[in-house]
Amino acid sequence: MSPLSPRDVSHAQLDGEARATASDRVSARMPAATAEPAIAYPVKQPFTWWTRRRGYLLYMLREFTAVGIAAWMLLFLVEVARMRQGAAGYQPLGGPLFVAISVVCLALALWHSYTFLSLAGLFMRIPLGDRTVSPRIIARAMFGALAVVTVAIAGLLIWGGA
Amino acid sequence: MTTHDSTGSRAHHVPRKGPNRLLGLIWAGFASAAVVGALIVPAHILVQGVLGPLGVPSFDRHYGTFARALSDPLVKIYLLVLFACSFYMLAFRVWYVVRELGVPSKLGVGVVSFGLSGAGLVIAGYLLFTGP
Repeated sequence: MSPLSPRDVSHAQLDGEARATASDRVSARMPAATAEPAIAYPVKQPFTWWTRRRGYLLYMLREFTAVGIAAWMLLFLVEVARMRQGAAGYQPLGGPLFVAISVVCLALALWHSYTFLSLAGLFMRIPLGDRTVSPRIIARAMFGALAVVTVAIAGLLIWGGA
Repeated sequence: MTTHDSTGSRAHHVPRKGPNRLLGLIWAGFASAAVVGALIVPAHILVQGVLGPLGVPSFDRHYGTFARALSDPLVKIYLLVLFACSFYMLAFRVWYVVRELGVPSKLGVGVVSFGLSGAGLVIAGYLLFTGP
């Protein structure tokens, strides 16, 4: 680690001045010890900040799962709307393109399920005596519930079409 | 809390009096919708979107079975919950991600994303409850 240069020292002594780091170009500012309200400076990030690290990319992918799920739901809504045309006019969505879109949306839905149910143990607090149930046990229970619910709903959907 | 949310200008930090109940309610709604969606959405996409078109029977492949299923009010309510969870997740995540990508207007993005989500839910309810 290199010693502080006079410039660094002068920056450190300037209480209340903006300090930018060369690595991420994020400006941070510590408020001066006065009675005035603290001044909040918005953090400026480049639009492509999420491409810098794999973790950021996976985060954005997790957020993007909602788009895929909602897009597939809109397609399902189109099927529901086609019901109004009667038996003669009804045609369910199908074909290779629809299947390909569904496979992509299924992958996004499963990614959402995996990431969110993994977090379930962190935001669910189940008291057990003077302690709480382990987050790992809660997460495993949620994945078990996912398997059971998936089998049950898939069975009902197939049974309804038989 | 800040009194100004846009970039490029100063904003003074003003502590909020008491908890932000609206934001807490929005977060609670997201947690509920995301858990329910995580549990029930994959089965629908798998059966109706992948297996159904490939030949596995599914309730929406024929008009008769689809209409019979939708004649049950419980099925309509269930499908409305399915749509609501999906659209709410979209609105909430778009609300946050768009701001993280640099769009400054918190209120504007929220109104647009939750407004579109609400409109989608109203359309879904109309189609489900006024259809055959």
